[in-house]
Amino acid sequence: MNTLHNSSARTLRIPAAGAVIYLGFALVLTALAGSAAAQGDRVRKLVLISGAQAADPQEFQAAQLIAQEWRKLGLEVEVRGLPRPQVSDIVWYNRDKWDVTMWRMVGRPERSDPDELVYNLFHSTTREKGFNFVGYVNPEYDRIAEAQRSEIDQAKRKVLVHSAQDMIMADVPYLFLVYPKNVVAYNSSIWKKDTIIDQSGIGVRNFWTFINAAPAGSQKDMVLNAAEAMNAINPLYISGAIDSWVTDLVWDRLMRVGPDGLPKPWAAESVTYVDGTTVDVKLRTGMLWHDGKPLTTDDVIYSFEAPAGDKSPMYKPFVANIAAMEKVDDRTIRFKLKAPNASFFTSTLAKINLIPRHVWEPILSGQQLQGKSAESYQEQLPIGSGPFKVVRFKLQEEILLERNAAHWSAPQMNRWILRIVTNTEAAVGMLKRGEVSFLSDYRGDPKVLEDLVKADSTIEVAATVDMGFRFVAPNLRRPPFDDVNFRKALMLAINRNLMAQAAWNGYAVPANSHVSAALPFWHKGEQFKPNVEEAKKILEKSGYKLVGGKLHYPDGKRETLSSLN
Amino acid sequence: MRLILTRLAQMLFVLWVVATLLFYMFRLMPGDPTAAYIDSTFTEDQIQQLRRTFGLDRPLHEQYVIYLGNLLVGEFGDSFHHRRPVLEVLGGVLPNTIVLTLSGLLVAYAFGTLVGAWLAWKRGTWVEAITIPTVLTLRAAPEFWLGMVLLAIFGFKLGWFPSGGANSPGAIFPSEWSRLISKDFLWHLVLPAATLALYLQGLPLLLMRSNMLDVMGEDFITMARMKGLSSWSIVMRHGARNALLPVATAFALGFGASIGGNVVVETVFSWPGLGKLLVNSVAASDYPVAQGAFFLITVVLVSMNFIADLLYSVLDPRVSHGRRI
Repeated sequence: MNTLHNSSARTLRIPAAGAVIYLGFALVLTALAGSAAAQGDRVRKLVLISGAQAADPQEFQAAQLIAQEWRKLGLEVEVRGLPRPQVSDIVWYNRDKWDVTMWRMVGRPERSDPDELVYNLFHSTTREKGFNFVGYVNPEYDRIAEAQRSEIDQAKRKVLVHSAQDMIMADVPYLFLVYPKNVVAYNSSIWKKDTIIDQSGIGVRNFWTFINAAPAGSQKDMVLNAAEAMNAINPLYISGAIDSWVTDLVWDRLMRVGPDGLPKPWAAESVTYVDGTTVDVKLRTGMLWHDGKPLTTDDVIYSFEAPAGDKSPMYKPFVANIAAMEKVDDRTIRFKLKAPNASFFTSTLAKINLIPRHVWEPILSGQQLQGKSAESYQEQLPIGSGPFKVVRFKLQEEILLERNAAHWSAPQMNRWILRIVTNTEAAVGMLKRGEVSFLSDYRGDPKVLEDLVKADSTIEVAATVDMGFRFVAPNLRRPPFDDVNFRKALMLAINRNLMAQAAWNGYAVPANSHVSAALPFWHKGEQFKPNVEEAKKILEKSGYKLVGGKLHYPDGKRETLSSLN
Repeated sequence: MRLILTRLAQMLFVLWVVATLLFYMFRLMPGDPTAAYIDSTFTEDQIQQLRRTFGLDRPLHEQYVIYLGNLLVGEFGDSFHHRRPVLEVLGGVLPNTIVLTLSGLLVAYAFGTLVGAWLAWKRGTWVEAITIPTVLTLRAAPEFWLGMVLLAIFGFKLGWFPSGGANSPGAIFPSEWSRLISKDFLWHLVLPAATLALYLQGLPLLLMRSNMLDVMGEDFITMARMKGLSSWSIVMRHGARNALLPVATAFALGFGASIGGNVVVETVFSWPGLGKLLVNSVAASDYPVAQGAFFLITVVLVSMNFIADLLYSVLDPRVSHGRRI
C-alpha cells in the first residue's frame, strides 16, 4: 500500500515540477516583453559621414573623436569616410538617405555680411533643394531672417541677427565645431612684411595683399601655389575657390569688401542711397578695359543685366532684387530695387564682375553658346578692367598675370604667377628654396610651417580665423535627430576644445554660431562646455533609456528606419 | 598585306568593344555628375537644364547612339567640370605625358637591356649577387617613395633640379614645340623621368637577363666562341639581338600601360599630365573627360600592340605570319 502511494506521487511530481518551471518561465518572459515594450526599440546604428582620411585628415579625425563620445551615450556609431563628390551627392541630392554628416561652410568676402548664411542656411524655402539641407523648419526663424534682410538700420539689424543666433543655439539644427584658421606663409625677404594685409575672416591671402605687396628686393614677380587645378577664368561663373583669386584680380567691381570686412567703393567713386529702394552709383573716370577700350555706363548696366537671364545661374540670385537700372548722366547709374535689402552693397555691388559689353554681348546673344550657359565659354584671352591682366594661362599648370599700369590702383609687383603644385611637401620645399614666394594654399600640418619659421627667419607665417566654419549636420528628417533633446545631448557630448587642439592642431577656434567670430559686429558668442553627464541626464529626462549599455527610444517608440549600408 | 588588314580589323573591333563597355560602365557608376558643382545657388530648373544640355535625361540607348556617332568624328563632347571640349582638355596635357612616358621608358629599357645582358654574362659572380637584389628593391619600392627621395635629395637638398611643374614660373614660349625642346622643360623633366626609369627598369633588365641566359646556352653561341669572337661581339651582336625580341614587345606594351598610369609621379612632381586629369575626372563624375581619356589610352595600347606584332615579324625572320613553321 505504501509503495503504491509513493510511486504514484513521484510520477505526478515530475510533470508538476515541469509545469511550475514552465509557468514561471512564461511569466518572466511576459514580464520582460512587457518591460521591453515599455522602453522603446533600440536606436539603430547611426552612420556619421565624413571626408576621406587622406583627403581631409582633420575632418576625419574630428569625426572619430565625436563618434567616440557618442558611444559613451550608448549609441552605436560608424564613421564612414567617402570621397568629397560622393558626400556631396548623398547629402545634397538624397536628402532623406543620410543620418548625420560632417560639413563645412567656406568663408568668402561676400559672406562678410551675415545675410547670405543667416537666410540661406535655415530658411524653410531652401529646405528642398537649397542650402537648408538639414531640413530645419521654424516659421519664427523665417520671420527673423526676412526681417534682418530688409532692416537698413544697423543697430536694429544687429538685434535681429543676434536673435537668429539665439534661436539656432536653442534648436541645435547644427552641432558647431570650429572656425578654422587659414594658414599662409610668405618670404619676407622678397615681400615687405608691412605691405601684406590681413583681411578679417579671410586671412593674408586676399585681394588687398596682391595689390599692395611691395618687393623688398630685385625679385618683382610673386609666385604662388595652388594645390589643385583650376576650372575656368570666367567672370560669369563661380568655378571654385582658387579660380576666384584670379577673377578678383582680372575684373573690377563697383564696390569691394575691404580688409575690415565692410564694403567700400571701388570702380565706383561714390555709392549713395537715394531712398530705401533706390541707389545711385557714380563711376570713376578714365577706366579702360585691358584691350584699351573705355569702360562706360553701358558696360556697367550690361554687367548687371547679363546674369539676370538664364546664362549665368550662379550670379542670377544676386541680381534678382534689381527691378531696373537707368543712366542718370554719363557717369551715374541709378539702381531701382524691388525690396529694401540691407546687404545689397556686399552681396550685389561687391559681387558682380564688370564685363565688357563689346566682348560678351555677341557671345551671349549669338550662336556660339548653342543654348548652353555662359559658364561653358572660356575666353582665349580674358578681358577685364582689373589691376592685373591675363598674359596666358594653362588651368592645369600655371596662370600668368601682369600688372595693369593703366589701372588707378596698379599693383606694386610686376607679375602674379600661380603654379599648380599638387604635392604639399613639394610646395613647402619650393617656399624654402625660393621657387614660390607666397605659399597661398597649404593643406598640411601647420607644425611643419612653424618649424620652418624657426629654422628660417625670412619665412613669415600668418594664421587668421576664417569666417567659415566646420560642423556636424544632423538630418532633422530622420529620427532620433528630429528630437531637439536628442540633438542637445549629442552636442553636449562634443568637446570643441579637443577638436581644435587635436584634430586641427590648434589652428582653429571653437565655434558656436553660423555667424563667425571673425565678424565681431554680428557674432554672438557663447561658451559651450562639454558635459557627457549632462547629456546623459537630458536623454534620461526625455525618456531615453540605457538597456545593457545600449540606448533605447522612449516608451512605446519604435525604430522605423534601418541602418544605412 | 592581308595580315596587316586583318590585324587592323581586329584592332577596330577591340576599340568598339571598349567604347561600348566604357559607355555603360560610367552610366552605371554611382554618383551624379551635377554633384560636382554643388557649391552654388542652383535651383531645380537649372539642374534640369544641365541634365538636358548634357543629354543625361534621354533614354540610355539613345545616348549610346549619339555617343558612337560622336566617337567616329573624334568628338568627345564637353567636359562637365571644365566646360570646354574634351579634346582641348586632353590636348593640353597630352604632350607632357607622352614626353615623360617616352623618356622614362626609353631610359629604363636602354639601361635595362644593356645591364641585363651584361649581368647574364656575369652569372655566378658577386656582381650579380649585389645587383639583382638592388634591382628587385627598386622594382618593389613604391613609386612615390622613389620620387620623394629623389626630390628631397636632388631638389631640396642639393638644389640641382626644380621641385615641380613642367616649366619655370612665368616662362613664355612661342610654340608648343619650342617649349618641349627647350632647356627649361628638359631641366624639369629630369627628376620625374628618372623616377619612372628607376621604377620601370626592373622588367627589361630581368627579362633581358633571363632571355640572354637561355640564348647563351644555344649552339650558335658556342660556335661564335669557337670562332674566337670577342665577348662584346658575342654578347651584343649575337646574343642580345635574339634576346631582345620579347623585350621589344614589352616596350610596346609598357608604353601603352604607362601612358595613363603615371598619376603618382605626376602628383609628386606636380607634372601636368593625363594620369591626374583622369583621376580627377573620375572623382568628379566628369563622364566625357574620363571616357575620352580611357579611350585615348586604349587607342594607344591597341596601336602599340599592333606595332609590337609588326615589329616582331620584322625583327625575327623565323616568325612570319601566315606561314606555318
